[in-house]
Amino acid sequence: MAQSTVIQAPGLSTFLKSLKTTPVDPSVEHLISLLKRRQIRNSRPCAIATTALLLRVVGEFKGRDAAKLVERIRQVGRRLTSAQPREVVVGNIVRRVLGLVREVVDENADGQTPTGSEAPTPVPQHDSLHRPTLASSMSTFSPLKHAAAEPMHVGVYDGNMSDSGELSRRPPLLTSHTSYAPPSAGPLVNSLFGLFSQPIDTPSATSTPSGAQSPNGKTTFTQQNLERLGELSRGQTSLDLKGEVMEGIRELQDELETSDKQIAEVALEHIHANEIILTHTASTTVQKFLMYAARKRKFTVVHAETYPHDHTATHGVLLTGKKRESHADEDDEDDKWKPLTEAGIQVYVIPDSHVFAIMSRVNKVILATHTVLANGSLVAAAGAHMIAKAAKEHQTPVVVLSGVYKLSPVYPFDIDELIEHGDAGGVVPYEDGDFVDKVDVENPLYDYVPADLVDLYITNLGGHAPSYLYRIVADHYRSEDITL
Amino acid sequence: MSDQTAEAVPAPVASTSQPQDTPAATTNGDAKAIKPAEDGALKKLSPAELKKQKQAEKQARRAQQKGPGGPSKEQGAPKDGQKQSKEPNQGAKNEQARPVPIRRRPSQSNVPVQKEPEKKSKKESRQAGVGLFFGHLYSQPKQQSMNGAGKDVHPAVLSLGLQYSSYAICGSTARMVAMLLSFKAVIESYQTPPGTSLARHLTNHHLSPQIEYLRSCRPLSISMGNAIRWLKDVIIKIDPSTPEAEAKRDLLEEVDIFIRERVTAADRLIRDLASTKIEPGDVILTYASSSIVEQAILHAHKAGTPFSVIIVDSKPLFEGKQLARKLANAGVKVRYYLITGASHAIQDATKVFLGAHAMMSNGRLYSRVGTASISMLASAHSLPVIVLCQSVKFTEKVALDSIVGNEVAPAEELLSEAERRELLPLKSMLPSSRNASKNDDKVAASEEEKTDTSDVLKWIEESKNLHHLQVLYDVTPAKYIDMVITEYGGLPPSSVPVVHRLSTNI
Repeated sequence: MAQSTVIQAPGLSTFLKSLKTTPVDPSVEHLISLLKRRQIRNSRPCAIATTALLLRVVGEFKGRDAAKLVERIRQVGRRLTSAQPREVVVGNIVRRVLGLVREVVDENADGQTPTGSEAPTPVPQHDSLHRPTLASSMSTFSPLKHAAAEPMHVGVYDGNMSDSGELSRRPPLLTSHTSYAPPSAGPLVNSLFGLFSQPIDTPSATSTPSGAQSPNGKTTFTQQNLERLGELSRGQTSLDLKGEVMEGIRELQDELETSDKQIAEVALEHIHANEIILTHTASTTVQKFLMYAARKRKFTVVHAETYPHDHTATHGVLLTGKKRESHADEDDEDDKWKPLTEAGIQVYVIPDSHVFAIMSRVNKVILATHTVLANGSLVAAAGAHMIAKAAKEHQTPVVVLSGVYKLSPVYPFDIDELIEHGDAGGVVPYEDGDFVDKVDVENPLYDYVPADLVDLYITNLGGHAPSYLYRIVADHYRSEDITL
Repeated sequence: MSDQTAEAVPAPVASTSQPQDTPAATTNGDAKAIKPAEDGALKKLSPAELKKQKQAEKQARRAQQKGPGGPSKEQGAPKDGQKQSKEPNQGAKNEQARPVPIRRRPSQSNVPVQKEPEKKSKKESRQAGVGLFFGHLYSQPKQQSMNGAGKDVHPAVLSLGLQYSSYAICGSTARMVAMLLSFKAVIESYQTPPGTSLARHLTNHHLSPQIEYLRSCRPLSISMGNAIRWLKDVIIKIDPSTPEAEAKRDLLEEVDIFIRERVTAADRLIRDLASTKIEPGDVILTYASSSIVEQAILHAHKAGTPFSVIIVDSKPLFEGKQLARKLANAGVKVRYYLITGASHAIQDATKVFLGAHAMMSNGRLYSRVGTASISMLASAHSLPVIVLCQSVKFTEKVALDSIVGNEVAPAEELLSEAERRELLPLKSMLPSSRNASKNDDKVAASEEEKTDTSDVLKWIEESKNLHHLQVLYDVTPAKYIDMVITEYGGLPPSSVPVVHRLSTNI
């Protein structure tokens, strides 16, 4: 949050400004450096910056080859995610854009080619075969190396499938099961089963059908597939690939802008009169949600201040109603934006240690999140786990607000990889040299909250149970893009 | 340990050994001269009524003294009358073989006393706001000066009260020991007025105002309540026929024995037992700071057990910092987290040691706020949660949640100076100043450097629906606690009432 002290310090707004004038490649470098220096951080700014950049990338893309466009976006995406792997949102946006490209290609393919048995599948589901090699090319602690969204395959089956001969032989239950779902090879498998079978490289008889091919063969097949896909789009002169994709990215930008509002609009369905609601951090999503409810209902908010990494912003939000960072950009919107207290809502600020003590009076917990993972768990500001756990102990419902853009196809196998540790100086100031010298001071910025502690997710699509999130993941990301 | 004692003890005592003049001695004399006369009239009243009357008197006096010039006078006052306290305290020094743990609070110590009077009126307005959760706990604002102290409050008690309210003496054992030591000074200088007996007069008429004053500085801790009850019991049992000098000597001795048995020896027993629970390779997690946990860890460390410690701490007292510093200086490997990182800290821990403010009779632990969260996380990770607690802190009280009984701390303590400074740039964005025109904003920006950090507090006061809330303790459910180690040994929390009966029926 250092950039907020001076208005023109590098950050999201300066990046967006410079994006208009600088060419693409320097812009990519610019964003990478901003991400690395944490000058753009938190989900929303990262998402906005990434979409803006990708819009430029697509806009400047020369040629009509879809496969090359996919490769180009991928390459940019890979560099961005490895610059700051814990900002999972960056990867999410890249995947969304890739999905857009594929969708555009799909639609055209469907329209132009007869869906005969010879037609190449525009959705090369074997793409995830890239995974082993790609994972090693990413930064060592990338959370994405565990990444997988197995239930995706279910979504793939819903679509047009050419080689589904084996599929019909399978028991229906198994097709929805993660590790058995891909009909071809063991290396496809992205769950724990896959972890074991990958290095062996010889698919075991139990998990793979007879038609399995070696990974090498598969890769070439995939490339062939992509090439064919490229040829296909090249042949279609009428297809305005770039235009449609850019249109889609603009829609994505709209979604980012409106998701808070859409989430807020359901507030009245979830907050009743005279509730006592506990929340934490200075999340704009949560503040807008509560603000919307405050128009019609009176309730009480207990706000944990999230010391030491977010307390300044929290107090700032409560005093002024907005984050300091957003001050520069949209002035007109700011004027409408008042702190909760001005809407007549009683707000009690408590230190984080008081959460358990107060919880017996609280009847709803509303959490903001950093990233939502495909299994329904979430990564949120440190302290969230304690709050969610205390709520569980008191049987208080926990509601998580999150835009769909924060929903990531990542399955958490190693939680520690997703957790960023911050500056220890926030916990004990460095002036206290003696102390810092002798004592290991730690300042984790995020908490992992397992899915069983969450009762409800509210996204811009509506309310969902944590167990249903995998479906939304499947709707938004293509399985072949899960590993960039 | 011994050099620590040297560090810790001078704080309360050193101030007493400063050069003084005599005025306080005369005030004290005055008080005594007036007292007997009053007593004659008041004798028929019950103690409760007496108390009420005294409180009313005090309030009236406080109102008078609120006027200008109060603070400067007060600062002189504590030093004044401490001649009397000097001797008893020195006498007690050999008694203080056990360290009186003292935790200093950085932000608090330099808060000027002058601010106090103007804050009081605001506090009242805030009480209404905080009422939602802890309205029942606000009786009167915390005393942070000697303004309202009654004349018959002993100077040693006066200075102790200030040390309580500024958290200079913090932690229930330390507070209890300090109180008993200052009561020794009170007893030392006590003279039974003619016509009454020591047993009857001392408790009701001489100790009560002292206790009342201490309570006004900070609510009494459970251990203090227990000690007071014990002391009153001892005093009542004194045979009226014993000569006064002898009775006083006996009393002082009793107090010494109490401290030695219930605190010093108990500490040693608990420490020895608890340190056997620390095994090589253990990672001991503790929350905030407890003197007994500190002793146990240091003991195990001296015994050569290789283990490390994780200290979890929280705003606003940061007691764990002191503990971390002490342990690190002793050579223990220490990691330090704030409570937001607790769920990470707990993953690396193997055992959790907790200090106690009190053990409730329903097996619940009443301790520094945040303890409940830590034990919840620990028991979710199936870590043993061990509470170290002298039996003097056991109480017959029961509690189900942390809201019914608690101690409310002043809300302005929530934001430290540094945090307030970080909030200053928000000034131009405040709702109140946003209404002003753009030009004004620029002026405000240039003024920003001049603005005081206390302005931040004012903003919070001004925004009428915003409240800062702070309590000192919380109640940990018994199901999270695996063992309570007392001087009687290790017990399950369900045995607390039994031990409490045992220890009070001696």
